[in-house]
Amino acid sequence: MSQALQLDDLILGDNQFFGINHMSQEKAQQLAERFNDLNKIYRAYHTAYDLGIHSFMLNSNDKAETICDYFRSHKNEFKDLVMYPSIPYPHKYANLVAEKGILSAIQDVISGQSAWNLIGMAGKSIGALTGDMTKVMEMLIDVEMKIYRKLPFKVVYLQNIITDLLLGLKLKDIFIAYCQYIEKKYAATPGFLTMNIPRLSAFLQECGIERATICGSVNKAGYLMSPDIKAYENYFQKPQIYPITAMSVYASGAIPPTEALDYVRNQGIKSVVFGASTQGHMAETLKLVRR
Amino acid sequence: MNTLSTNTSRLLKAGIIGAGRMGITHFSLLGSHPQVEVTAVAEDSSLVSSALGRYRPDIKLFGDYQKMLADEKLDLVLICTPPSMHAAMIEACLAKDVSVFVEKPFTLTLAESHRVLQMAEQKNKASSLGLQVGYVNRFNDVFMKVKQLLAENYIGKTLSFRSEMFGRTVVQKDSGSGWRSKRENGGGCLYEFGSHAIDLVVYLLGKPEKVMGSHLSSLYSAHAEDIVRSTFIYSNGLIGSLFVNWSDESCRKPTNKIEILGEEGKILADQHELKIYLKQDKGPYRKGWNTIYITELMTPVPFYVRGNEFTRQIYHFVDCVLQPKQNNISSFNEAAKTQDIMDWIFTDSRMNGGI
Repeated sequence: MSQALQLDDLILGDNQFFGINHMSQEKAQQLAERFNDLNKIYRAYHTAYDLGIHSFMLNSNDKAETICDYFRSHKNEFKDLVMYPSIPYPHKYANLVAEKGILSAIQDVISGQSAWNLIGMAGKSIGALTGDMTKVMEMLIDVEMKIYRKLPFKVVYLQNIITDLLLGLKLKDIFIAYCQYIEKKYAATPGFLTMNIPRLSAFLQECGIERATICGSVNKAGYLMSPDIKAYENYFQKPQIYPITAMSVYASGAIPPTEALDYVRNQGIKSVVFGASTQGHMAETLKLVRR
Repeated sequence: MNTLSTNTSRLLKAGIIGAGRMGITHFSLLGSHPQVEVTAVAEDSSLVSSALGRYRPDIKLFGDYQKMLADEKLDLVLICTPPSMHAAMIEACLAKDVSVFVEKPFTLTLAESHRVLQMAEQKNKASSLGLQVGYVNRFNDVFMKVKQLLAENYIGKTLSFRSEMFGRTVVQKDSGSGWRSKRENGGGCLYEFGSHAIDLVVYLLGKPEKVMGSHLSSLYSAHAEDIVRSTFIYSNGLIGSLFVNWSDESCRKPTNKIEILGEEGKILADQHELKIYLKQDKGPYRKGWNTIYITELMTPVPFYVRGNEFTRQIYHFVDCVLQPKQNNISSFNEAAKTQDIMDWIFTDSRMNGGI
């Protein structure tokens, strides 16, 4: 990566497609039902793309592979596509861990992968790596990133549950290794999703990480902003080392669009990831962001 | 003798027993607390301990919790192991005058919880300890609001309720390898899910006088139940039902739901959303249905990992260690009530010919 990262001004997220809504289970269920048919998700992507939203953030969930296959096979219709992968899909691991414990869960995901065999681990247990978590992490990244093969991306985000867990554990070496691996292997900027922007930013600096980007909730309701909205506003007043993308700008629908995007703009943030499922909502957000 | 109340300027030293999913989560949350340092971890998995040894060399690692308690001077311990080990571990911590946070369920049996409770009460006469059980719903913004609405008598005298929890934790025949698949280890739907749904009832409405019509059934698990039903009877006429299923593929993540009918209205709540029906306008609410979303109720926490309630729960525990006189929201006493009810349900189900 030689040139500086240019984050896109508007990125379409994916929560709305997979029955995730922080505000209401009912709403989540309705959305899950509506997008049960993958064709409806593809149609929504076409709608967004045709409106001029060419950047999509997609978590490596169990439908991501199929969706990426669609983008690969329709590349002429998505010529300027930029993916923003977020990895891993935590529920996959959470369920495996709950059932089998951490050890067997990781083993399940990694074993059989070529990297596993390459380092001479074929047929061996993961315990033999004796706690080399960076090696394990690199293999997990490769497993997840296979989903996005041959698609253009400039950032690889680490999912917020993982980022924030590691942040509390103060595992500096893991953060450093993640950043180095994403830059070296994928020629991309390491990204972090988080619910703790000020704390994460301070920690990344402590780690000596110079190039990274952060994506976290920014909204005037203070929703999903730890420790509190005041700390965020103070943070945004100072010059920032890491470019920021705002998410949850509408606080799951609690804030009207103009108000929501005015707030984000007033914090000096130039990149937004948002969830919308209709053309009307996509167009409205686009108009407000590019006004 | 606990001397913390006179000396709160130093950092509290914390130990964690069991660095599985919950242990790691709590470790991360404690890591953000300005008055706590995690100094020791007892964990028998070689992967976890060797990873910690490599990346957090400042933390002392033990294969055996008893050795950790013997060698380390700790102020507080978090017990995050399978439930069958809880009672012995709590007793070992109490013997050392160490404050304890233990994951739910409190213990495996009613007899164990009463024994532990007795020991805790004796200990607390001499030294003040923070003692808490991980019933995290008590720290959820929505359920805290429900508690407040009930206390302020919004729906009048309570008449009936339904407490439910659904999830997709077990959706295929188990391999029998994990502890969750065996009741003697604290596995099964009643311990794992039922305990949350019962605790929510105890928290909001108190302990019933008895249970009836309990039935445990199995869909996938060979050595434990996957579905639990029971009816709760109260001496004041309140009646409620419990319905819990951890084999429901349609649920993306485990969810508690509670419905409470009163003489003046009704409350419907889950972790994210609250609806209240009122017969008449009252306070900020109109006659008829009112929806209150979590975005309106949520108060920020100092550090977020898996939800505000997890942070609030652990920070409350630390507060109770620092100021042992304050009322613990999820005390051993409260958890023992849930333990009694679970025991009743097992007995009632057996009497009804269930597993």
